[in-house]
Amino acid sequence: MKRQTMYLRMITSSLVRRRSRMIVALLAVAIGATILSGLVTIYYDIPRQMGQEFRSYGANMILTPSGGGRITPEDAARAAALIPPENAVGIAPYRYENIKINEQPFIAAGTELEGARGASPYWFVSGRWPEETGEALIGQEVADIIGIGPGGVFTLSGITADGDGFKGEFTVSGVVQTGGAEEAFVFMSLEALGDIAGGGGLDVVECSVSAPQTELEELAERIGAGTPGVTARLVRRVTQSEVTVLSKLQALVYLVTAVVLMLTMICVATTMMAVVAERRREIGLKKALGAPNGEIIREFLGEGLLLGGLGGLLGAILGFVFAHTVSINVFGRPILFKPLLVPVTMLVSIAVTGLSCLLPVRRATDVDPAIVLRGE
Amino acid sequence: MFWRMVRGAVFRQRGRVLMIALTVALGASLATAMLGVMLDVGDKVNRELKTYGANINVIPKGASLLGDLYGVEDGSGVSDQYLPESELGSIKTIFWAFNIVDFAPYLDARAVLNGGGDVSLTGTWFDKRLELPTGETLVTGVRGMKSWWDVTGEWLAPGDTHAAMVGSAVAERNGLIAGDTISVGYAGRSVDFLVKGVFDAGGSEDDRIFVPLGAAQELTGREGRVSRIEVSALTTPDNELSRRAAQDPQSLSVKDWETWYCTAYVSAICYQIQEVIPGAIAKPIRQVAESEGAILEKTQFLMLLITVLSLAGSALGISNLVTASVMERSREIGLLKAIGAHNSPVSRLVLTETLAIAAIGGAAGYFAGLGFAQIIGQTVFGSAVEPKPMVAPIVAVLVVAVTLAGSIPSIRLLLSLRPAEVLHGR
Repeated sequence: MKRQTMYLRMITSSLVRRRSRMIVALLAVAIGATILSGLVTIYYDIPRQMGQEFRSYGANMILTPSGGGRITPEDAARAAALIPPENAVGIAPYRYENIKINEQPFIAAGTELEGARGASPYWFVSGRWPEETGEALIGQEVADIIGIGPGGVFTLSGITADGDGFKGEFTVSGVVQTGGAEEAFVFMSLEALGDIAGGGGLDVVECSVSAPQTELEELAERIGAGTPGVTARLVRRVTQSEVTVLSKLQALVYLVTAVVLMLTMICVATTMMAVVAERRREIGLKKALGAPNGEIIREFLGEGLLLGGLGGLLGAILGFVFAHTVSINVFGRPILFKPLLVPVTMLVSIAVTGLSCLLPVRRATDVDPAIVLRGE
Repeated sequence: MFWRMVRGAVFRQRGRVLMIALTVALGASLATAMLGVMLDVGDKVNRELKTYGANINVIPKGASLLGDLYGVEDGSGVSDQYLPESELGSIKTIFWAFNIVDFAPYLDARAVLNGGGDVSLTGTWFDKRLELPTGETLVTGVRGMKSWWDVTGEWLAPGDTHAAMVGSAVAERNGLIAGDTISVGYAGRSVDFLVKGVFDAGGSEDDRIFVPLGAAQELTGREGRVSRIEVSALTTPDNELSRRAAQDPQSLSVKDWETWYCTAYVSAICYQIQEVIPGAIAKPIRQVAESEGAILEKTQFLMLLITVLSLAGSALGISNLVTASVMERSREIGLLKAIGAHNSPVSRLVLTETLAIAAIGGAAGYFAGLGFAQIIGQTVFGSAVEPKPMVAPIVAVLVVAVTLAGSIPSIRLLLSLRPAEVLHGR
């Protein structure tokens, strides 16, 4: 009992008395631990954060009718409910009707405008998105052919699949540029299309879901099994490429982390060595007073462990702040806190400080105390 | 005498000198590697993003996208326009030729499959070796551009003339597998193709049959003509200037126009393609062009922040060590002061020593860092990281600043000590 109190007192007093030196060492350990926990947190969060950015490529899963015909709104709602709401960036159901404006053939697309906006963030709209049922968004090509811009009024007519004619007047709220086939479309809300062309099913539902490819595949299967009227397909061009780019990025951060980590570990180790090496006289004195080698090593190790633990804890906290700063600045989103990283950071810093203390202490205990004390 | 003391300190206390030099070298190599990778990451990620396929679509003036929608092809007046195949090479002669990674021409037609149903036929280049007007050769085609295709069987080789790749939807409808022979008819003529591969593109291409461009031109009687070109180019993210230019390049002032023309904006590259291919309209495919910009920006910013923060971290670490090693010399400095040295020569001496050691370490670290950057480049992207000349001065400044920051406070502390106390061993 007494021995242990003495041991603890020796460790703490050596940390407290040699305050400035110990602060230097503690700082070194804390910096190393900060970089470790910060970079590892970023590394693990990259797929989630960048995955969000990749959603700017638009839909990565589409729902199509299983057989012929169309998707009923009930089926679409049931399928959409299977997508976890926190992962759904945008879900846009589309209903297409062939229409004519000034006797020129075009396609009218009825959609949920809010969902379409989320699923296709790359659309470049001059003007604004429709807000009322009497407004429509027209593609650049439509605008060029019929010669109207935002604010213009046009009449469209068409024939439903059942053979009934319909007609409607719309105000152009904006012109959309995409560089793709959508430029020949007229977009309006589902309700607006339903008002003029009557009720009808959906042709396709575009979903932009923030999830890795394997999760998406599972999700597609679940949707197929849960709603028999709907088949879910992945948009391979988007999902495949996302996997390629993300894995490269993660590998990059991984390597950078490894290199930085190695260097900071060496930095910590050299600092610890320098701090211990200057205590050779103290070791010599202890030996001259009759302390066995094992006890001296244990004492220094105890100091190292305490220092490593403290520095690791400090570093884990600072590292989270570091990762959070990066995440907020780059992605504008907070980072996920990984509780497991705290003990891991502490363990690694304890191991590194312990090991780097051991080496110089070993060397110091090996020499003759008389020589050390003489100052050679 | 001064230099002899510096030399003596450097050579006699080899262990301690080595430790400082090693730490500075490590820090410098870290800085070099990170800066090198950071400056090059944009280019590298941009190339990776090319897996998303083309970002520019070149179509003949007056052609309409309506053909895609209704299947109206011939005679309806909307898609009877073609581009000359002979002009394709000049895409690689524009100002930003170096940024054009891949391109492929397409000739679309509706044909009859095996005497039965209608099918969309597309003639294209698969792995075309192209002699450029500049005398270089270039290998380009859909094989590089459609990297997401999942092919059962094989891709067409450059020598194949009567072979085809069939989209999975067409293959499923007609029960085709690799190795089958199909007959494709057009306006009364008919040609046999060997199916070399079936691909799953997860998109509208699954409804098409791809054949070599020459074969499609022969079948449809449109020798030397193509209906559209897809171009995959490395571009700079759009900003306010490029958006203004995309609306109307003529509205820019002369200076703005030059800036715009000489920057790899997607709109500038489109403009330059229109200059070299007569009668063509080049349109950015916004889905790809826009998103690439966003992702590129984020990646660069992420790397920048990681670099800055880890540099700050390692700078702290190094100056920490320098502080520790200068403090160790309290007895020596005490002795110097005891025999009558003034403060300023003493601090000059210690500073010169430390800086000399740091310079050696920094130089070694710089070259080691170049190596680190190459390792990262090769492992992650499979290509070398270009060494940038601006990295060297940055690293040099960093090393000097960090060493000074580490040694000056500790020297001041030592100078304030009383020699007698220090020598006594307190």
